[in-house]
Amino acid sequence: MISANKQIRAARYGMTIDVDRCNGCGACMVACSVENNVPPAHEGATDRKGLTWIRVYKVDNGEEYPNRRTAFVPVMCQHCGNETPCVHVCPQQAVDVDPSTGVVGEMPQRCLGCRYCMAACPYHARYFNWWDPAWPAGMEKTLNPGVTPRMRGVVEKCNLCHGRWHAAKEQAAAAGKPDTEPVSYVPACVEACPTGAIHFGDLNDASSATAKEAAEPDSFRLLEKLNTQPKIYYRSKKDWVRGIAAAPRPGGAGKENSRG
Amino acid sequence: MASPPRPVRAAPERKTPVDNPLDNMDRHFIARGAVRCSTPKFLLWMAPWAALLVFGLYSAALCLIKGLNQTNMDNRFAFGLWIFLDLTVIALGAGAFFTGFLLYILKLDELRSVINSAVVIGLVCYSGAVCVLAVDVGQPLRAWFTFWYPNVHSMLTEVTFCISCYLTVLAIEYVPIVLRNRKLRQVPSFLVFEFELHKLIYVLAGVGTFLSFFHQGSLGGLYGVLRGRPFAFREGLAVWPSTFFLFIISAAAVGPSFILLTTWLVQKITRKRLVRPEVLQLLGRISGSLLAVYVLAKSIDTLIWINRTSPETGFQAWQYYSWKPFGTWILVAEIGVCGLLPALMLLAPKLRRRTGWLVSGAFLACAGVALNRFVLTVQTLALPTLSFDRFLSYTPSWQETGTFLAVVAYGVLVYSFSFRYFQLFPQERELKLEARQVEEERELVGRY
Amino acid sequence: MKTTRREIMLFAGGSAVGVLFTPAPWRLLTDTALWSENWPGIPAPARGEIRARYTNCSLCTAGCAVRARCVGDQPVALSGAGGHPLSHGALCAFGLAGHHLPYIPSRVKQGPVKEAAAAVADGIAKCGPAEYVVTLDLRPARTASWTYRRAMAAVKNGRYVTPAVDSSVAVDLSKARTVLSFGVPVLDGWGTPGNAIAARPGFRLIQAEPIESRTASMADQWLRIRPGSEDTLAQGLAGQIAHAAAAEGTGLAEREIAALAAQLEQNGPVLVLGSSRLESTGRTIVSRRETPVPAEWQKAAPVTDLASLPDGSVRVLIIDESAPGEYLPWKAIEKKLVADNPVVVALAWSREGYGRHAQHVLPVGVYPEVAGDIPPAIDSVAATFRLSVPLVPVPEACVKPEEFVAAAAGLPVTDTLRERADAIHKAARGTLFTYADTKSVELKDVKADDFWKALNAGGCWIDAPDDKAPAARLTTAVAELRPVEESDLPLVVVLSHELTPGSPILSKLYQESNLRLGPNCVALHPSCGLEDGAKAVFETLLGKCPVAVTLDAGIPPGLVQVSASPAVLDLCASGARAKVGRA
Repeated sequence: MISANKQIRAARYGMTIDVDRCNGCGACMVACSVENNVPPAHEGATDRKGLTWIRVYKVDNGEEYPNRRTAFVPVMCQHCGNETPCVHVCPQQAVDVDPSTGVVGEMPQRCLGCRYCMAACPYHARYFNWWDPAWPAGMEKTLNPGVTPRMRGVVEKCNLCHGRWHAAKEQAAAAGKPDTEPVSYVPACVEACPTGAIHFGDLNDASSATAKEAAEPDSFRLLEKLNTQPKIYYRSKKDWVRGIAAAPRPGGAGKENSRG
Repeated sequence: MASPPRPVRAAPERKTPVDNPLDNMDRHFIARGAVRCSTPKFLLWMAPWAALLVFGLYSAALCLIKGLNQTNMDNRFAFGLWIFLDLTVIALGAGAFFTGFLLYILKLDELRSVINSAVVIGLVCYSGAVCVLAVDVGQPLRAWFTFWYPNVHSMLTEVTFCISCYLTVLAIEYVPIVLRNRKLRQVPSFLVFEFELHKLIYVLAGVGTFLSFFHQGSLGGLYGVLRGRPFAFREGLAVWPSTFFLFIISAAAVGPSFILLTTWLVQKITRKRLVRPEVLQLLGRISGSLLAVYVLAKSIDTLIWINRTSPETGFQAWQYYSWKPFGTWILVAEIGVCGLLPALMLLAPKLRRRTGWLVSGAFLACAGVALNRFVLTVQTLALPTLSFDRFLSYTPSWQETGTFLAVVAYGVLVYSFSFRYFQLFPQERELKLEARQVEEERELVGRY
Repeated sequence: MKTTRREIMLFAGGSAVGVLFTPAPWRLLTDTALWSENWPGIPAPARGEIRARYTNCSLCTAGCAVRARCVGDQPVALSGAGGHPLSHGALCAFGLAGHHLPYIPSRVKQGPVKEAAAAVADGIAKCGPAEYVVTLDLRPARTASWTYRRAMAAVKNGRYVTPAVDSSVAVDLSKARTVLSFGVPVLDGWGTPGNAIAARPGFRLIQAEPIESRTASMADQWLRIRPGSEDTLAQGLAGQIAHAAAAEGTGLAEREIAALAAQLEQNGPVLVLGSSRLESTGRTIVSRRETPVPAEWQKAAPVTDLASLPDGSVRVLIIDESAPGEYLPWKAIEKKLVADNPVVVALAWSREGYGRHAQHVLPVGVYPEVAGDIPPAIDSVAATFRLSVPLVPVPEACVKPEEFVAAAAGLPVTDTLRERADAIHKAARGTLFTYADTKSVELKDVKADDFWKALNAGGCWIDAPDDKAPAARLTTAVAELRPVEESDLPLVVVLSHELTPGSPILSKLYQESNLRLGPNCVALHPSCGLEDGAKAVFETLLGKCPVAVTLDAGIPPGLVQVSASPAVLDLCASGARAKVGRA
């Protein structure tokens, strides 16, 4: 509860992802699933029905060998800052943008499962629980007690490890820090990335490394022209990588240009 | 009818077989003077639809119990057959509100002969759509959350509220039709209730029009506001994208066509004359003129979208049509073959007088609206947004198809039941008497 | 006074309307939300104090330092322990889910321990003069490996067999300016990931392989050579054949090979991985001292190569499959067994490996349950000693492979890990790095007991640098000569090595996304005529197995990329020919 008298210094948590460093190992995907109690795939699940809050795509420049170049791009909820598409369309207000952190949060207990937000999201960052979550016998012991598992029929997505933010807030409170200041914490994917490709920080804090990186000329965002103002910045020195962030390339004669 | 009515020979008495008590009992519920087939024959007609309904309910039950993994929808195809079905039947069921509006507000009295049928169709369409929606959501028990925690920015909230209210209005409009049943009207309180209710009919029609205006529009708005899907996104007026208005016009245009189609179909199946041809032609003319307005508006909207709205989001419009099978033919089909063509067919008086042209025009109009809804639901989701997305395709699973067929079966069952026991077509008796007069005259002439 | 029907109806109607003005129906309505929030199988989370424990990951020889976040004693998350001089806090996708391993569905939970022990004893007794008792150790150079060697020395006709691994030689990535890799996944699971990543900016990576692997896509240059032409390219670069001939054999342009040769000359030192025909230069490959071993253990059997055993001579075979390592195709092993009733015991944690072939499959503990040491990684220039400590209790039915083999040989069971640690401490060289405080101390400044405690609480012994270590040759390497088989089957096999089986959560990487090739999956060019996800049959000259098809435009037509699971390795190696047909 934040009283009206307090002046909160709002954070805008965001990320910079160095596409040139990502080697597609998938450590971020596993760490995210472990942290957020995402269940393993049901038998009938495919890449179209799975739950991957962060998903690494393999992209290429559409050329043939020897001019073919590939890269790996991790995509999670972009936490859009401007007229957030999913927030506007949810009929139950189960999605909201937290003004003190900029994180787009989802309330699985309120979600009706109408999937309108999934149609609205251009980044395909929202995933539906097509099955009841199930873990092999005994594996429930390894679940993270700080994150609630979701039931079938609701939508879920990356929330920048909200559980860790809460834990950081509690720690700060226990240490006597004022609760009007943003806390510093590390989401699971950032911690797990072996190449250090993902950086996380407060974009409102001009002195933070993330804010500085986001302002670099080689930083870009996905589908910028849609003007959703996402908080996930990608970085690459390669021009063709920058090109994939814009609108889709038209379909060729079966020349699919992605795996992931 | 200038000449005085000739004395009419009494209709041959149909002997009610003594050994068929069911038939005998059933007869009492059928309006006097209305000719309906025998009970066994009626049951024979209903049986396959009932079987289909049972199969469909089983499919729906599977989806409710086992979860939506029974369908072929997935994270990219968040909406599938059911949403397309919902949008289409609601557009087709718009005949209910629009006919009511034309009859009670604009006082086009010829439509009195089809209003009851329109109400039943509307009820069937809307209740079917709501039932399918209950299966389509992941947590049906939470359906009331939209009323409890409404999001004023969301088009879907608006749709939910208006459709629920309108379904109530339709149910209330259906009650008088039921209460005028031969047996039920023998209960005095029902008769009084129905009479009082009828006084409200203008209010109900007005409310129905108002609600329908908004929810037909909001269904269009659902897609028009998706700024993340440049294929569907449209500019508009204040918070309402152009699809809001286009959906209203198209629904109003296709409502009369669907009434026309169903009436013609019922006439064909029951081999009776139920409405005067002029009424069908009137419906066709109304549909045609609105369709023409719609085609004009849609063309302007499409041009704006191709030249301004879409390119501003970084998506060139021709890209959308570069993925097979969704080539530009679909745009031509929607606006031309199923839009402009039926409009012209229905507006041409000479063609309207020929049943074949009239019905074909109405069918094309309905097909056009179905195609439009399909394009906005399925094609929007099939097209990639990120440059490394793939174009994906989707085929409904048998459980989805079964649930869809359940709605169709439910519609046929309810309509058949209503047609048999309630007076859906007030002109039926009149037309039957006229037909008998003509027949007698012919006999008389033939004698001489 | 008779109550009329009308009155009842009125009462009912009135009550219905009236009850709407009470809280009852609205409370019931909100309660439906509770029903929708409860579902069968809601897991109950662990409760307890949250603390950190440290260990080393034993899923591969990288042995990355691990910090386990535990609730009470149960690990709920793993992450790399920061500051480690070799792993640098990195942990791969497989290691991150290591704490799930005790619960994977394909785990072996029960086994006939007594019968197996009796059969082994019987077999040893019946062993003829030209017959052998063999222990096959799939991850050599562990402390347990020494026990096996001692056990085989104690048993008559005992032989200790391992896959070809030379642990006396190490690769020094930091000394290389160019790395030429013939299909070795340098940036995707080779060596120690953290080390490869840290050293990456210092060298130019040239990857030569037929399919663009993850390493090839990250490399500075990818050479798309035909399958089976690795040796041809190496010969061309070594000057043993003309560039033109090498170009023809590999499918590359002649000027590409000439340019490559020039590069290797100008941009040395060059590290060559995956081919022993081409020599590495500089001190990129050095010999490595062995981690000290107690003197009494030197009376141990030597390492024998499987191929050197005569066919049909192995009477008793014990396979230690408890630590994930290389899988030798069963056919190669089977032909060495005696014809009449050989005894084959597999000590395995998963049914998917030798469990499919062995007579007796005995359950063993898995990674977070058992204590064991991890041999030094191939890219660790200094010898290391680090323990994987038990974080959760091991199920009762499990056997300890070391004890099983020692008992079979009549060796006394001792705390071999402690003995090894003491031997290292006696050698008094090197440093101890502890994870909790990321501090490094000289081993000679630490007492033996403290050393042992530190190793068990998360620590690592690293040998002193040996600047005089001579340059060496890597005679055994991943993916040596892989000539393409002669046959009329249409496709050439290229194996893709992923670490399976693993946690079910790894489905994120292959079933719920297309990032990796899943187990029992093949990848084909879209022109193959099958659909994505289609069930198919993968057939080689040695047999067939069911697979699922993934379409990938990056696979050249005529090749099939196969995920190297034991079932597949039994059927083929890279370069084999295969066909994939609809199921």
